[in-house]
Amino acid sequence: MLARLSPEDRPIAIAALFILAILIAGTAYTLITSGTVPLLSPGYLLQQLQTGAFLGICAAGMMMVILLGHIDLSIPWTLSAAAMTATAVGGDLALPTALAVGLAVGLFNGFGVAYLRIPSMIFTLGVDTVLRGLMVAQTGGFAPQDRATPMMLFLAKEKILGIPVAIFVWAAVSVAISVILTRTAFGRSVYATGSREAAAYLSGIRTRRVIIGAFVTSGLCAALAGFLLTGYSAKAYQGMGNAFLLPAIAAVVLGGTHILGGRGRYAGTLVGVILIVLLNSVLSIMQMPEAGPQIIYGTVIIGMLLVYGRNARVTS
Amino acid sequence: MTEPIVEYRGISKYFAGIRALEKVDFACRPGTIHAILGENGAGKSTLIKIMAGVLVPDAGEMLLEGRTVSFASPDEATRNGIVCMFQELSLVPDLTVADNICISDPPRRFGLIDRRAQVRRAEALLARVRCEDIDPHALVRELPLSRRQMVEIAKALGRDPKVLILDEATSALTSRDVQTVYDLLADLKGRGVSSLFISHRMHEVEALCDTLSVFRNGQHIETFAKGAHSDTEIVRLMIGRDVEAQFPPKPQPKALDPILTVKGLRWENRLNGVDVSIGRGEIVGLGGLDGQGQKELLLALFGVLRGVSGSVEVAGKRGIPSSPYAAKSGSTRIALVPEDRKTEGLMLGMPIADNLLAAAFDRVSRGPVIDSGLASRAVAEALAKLQVRIGAPTDAVMTLSGGNQQKVVIAKWLMVDPDIILLNDPTRGIDVGTKQEIYRLMRSLADDGKAILFYSSDYAELIGCSDRVYVLYDGRVVSELEGDAMTEEGIVAASLNIDVEAA
Repeated sequence: MLARLSPEDRPIAIAALFILAILIAGTAYTLITSGTVPLLSPGYLLQQLQTGAFLGICAAGMMMVILLGHIDLSIPWTLSAAAMTATAVGGDLALPTALAVGLAVGLFNGFGVAYLRIPSMIFTLGVDTVLRGLMVAQTGGFAPQDRATPMMLFLAKEKILGIPVAIFVWAAVSVAISVILTRTAFGRSVYATGSREAAAYLSGIRTRRVIIGAFVTSGLCAALAGFLLTGYSAKAYQGMGNAFLLPAIAAVVLGGTHILGGRGRYAGTLVGVILIVLLNSVLSIMQMPEAGPQIIYGTVIIGMLLVYGRNARVTS
Repeated sequence: MTEPIVEYRGISKYFAGIRALEKVDFACRPGTIHAILGENGAGKSTLIKIMAGVLVPDAGEMLLEGRTVSFASPDEATRNGIVCMFQELSLVPDLTVADNICISDPPRRFGLIDRRAQVRRAEALLARVRCEDIDPHALVRELPLSRRQMVEIAKALGRDPKVLILDEATSALTSRDVQTVYDLLADLKGRGVSSLFISHRMHEVEALCDTLSVFRNGQHIETFAKGAHSDTEIVRLMIGRDVEAQFPPKPQPKALDPILTVKGLRWENRLNGVDVSIGRGEIVGLGGLDGQGQKELLLALFGVLRGVSGSVEVAGKRGIPSSPYAAKSGSTRIALVPEDRKTEGLMLGMPIADNLLAAAFDRVSRGPVIDSGLASRAVAEALAKLQVRIGAPTDAVMTLSGGNQQKVVIAKWLMVDPDIILLNDPTRGIDVGTKQEIYRLMRSLADDGKAILFYSSDYAELIGCSDRVYVLYDGRVVSELEGDAMTEEGIVAASLNIDVEAA
């Protein structure tokens, strides 16, 4: 069955099957140990998706950058900086402030990669460190306001029709990214540039603007995730974004996006995020000693990439 | 007749169920220069890839000097004396010439590479291909395409071949180098080496080969000695049907309204004051030896190069486009079909439809959103107009044969309805049938009032297609030929800058 799927759909199908396998294994475990099936209750699943929303929004932005064959390692501190600046400003200006921080970081990353031609891995890593320094400087002398604003609390914690608002935000971001990627000239240019930058440039695509656009999207997504996460944890704090970098990259790549750019579908990233969130939660239900989940988590990522790698071998 | 050195018995190879070679019986003998002819997609590349150990046949057996062999890797084939130069150059751009030449088996001292011995070996091999001018310490990426191809030939020689396979090995060479390769092959022939020669240039095959084999649709049609068939018959064997006159007829010369005027164009030390002028409805050829500034001229006009000086007037407006985007979207649109379609012309891994639309997203969009109906109609129209033979528009463009890939590049640019079309060697490595389609297309575009400027390394093509030819030498136009003055001798003489030096 898998062999008949197109190379783009195959990783998505494999990841979806793996999600099923995680659910089945987790349920079997809870049935044996306690005789209950918490994993299959709608309430539990919605709660998982709610916590997954932060990662999902980060991964959506990261996917744009990875499609270009670049990477954005500044996500942790873009997220933290946006959140901390937003709470410091507070009030109705919190959201515009957070997005402005994301936009500024994205523009700067894009400028460095597109115009200065610095490899994104180095440049965004540097930007991440600079942002951390700036945040330490900002909070060093005095304690600024770090309480979440009412809007943050609403977006991250409230429910509409029994469904967490954060899931709606994630869904809105997903629709936006997926329309951009499939239906706009900018989205198609991202694929073209990631596939072969020289050919895209010689086709009259403004590749520098495309690169900047992708980094800006990534910055905005990280900022929005930071905004929500502040509401979820009721305050902004240093290092709040540290847990999101590797899972965001892993979700994108597990979803079948080629790490060297040019190929991948947004549905894959979505599936990848759900996979990682469920894997984490099942491992925590199993209450393994701390080292166990990390080893399993890493092994799963490497193992799945091996499976894709063998299928997606392309000769030209 | 001598025993064959390599013999195929009933070899078949399929890719995803599609036949690439079917029950092929084939033999080549020592001391021959054997041409493999056929359109793109006829199975020539598959044939030699099996011999070179890149592919393993699905059925049949291969004999080397009477023994059944099966190669697991190209390295094994090389150790058995079968050396292949592939169509895509296989040099590592960031290593030096000497590193590349000795890459598979570098001379060693105490287990480490002996650089001096390596350079000596490279120098000796380069001298054998009369390229003493190439510095063994130079990086390959700094060499022009024609020099790289000579390095590739030197590298192949260094492996001491019994069977030497040259796949389009002369496609980028200058005429002097082509002569060197001819002499070299004649010399190897005398030593009992069998050379397999794949080329789309009939006159090269004519001049060089003693045996010819024709392939079509994955089947071996016929093998015969040179002279057994006329050119027309050979072409008929290759494409399975008759072809009409090779070049479309030219219109009577008439006064033309100039659309592009270039005066004193300079760029670094590659362009040294180029003066060119083209009218609407005119096809102008750029001739000369490889690397005399033709490529740079086309790139400069398309807005790719930085720091170009001189005056350019496009339809009365002065100024050089600042980028390819500016070139294609000004009031007078300029298109460029680049030199290397695989890396500059196409996104190989992407669908055919996306490649076609890459230059024209704004024409199929409403606001920022692409209208999928409009887009698929535009794609269907473009494919029909150029008669591109494809499976589905969603297939990756790398599944197409070379000729069809080039048609996709051209179709992409026709979508923006350009006024000036620049083409850099548009028929390199393309089969006869597609070449003729491209010639006819160029003429019909010119008849519609487009201006066409094209560079070709094939003199017959320059003469057959162009209304006028500018010959470039050392970044300048040294001669402008028109009408009856456009002869092969005239172009060659101007290319070598003979008459100018004498004057």
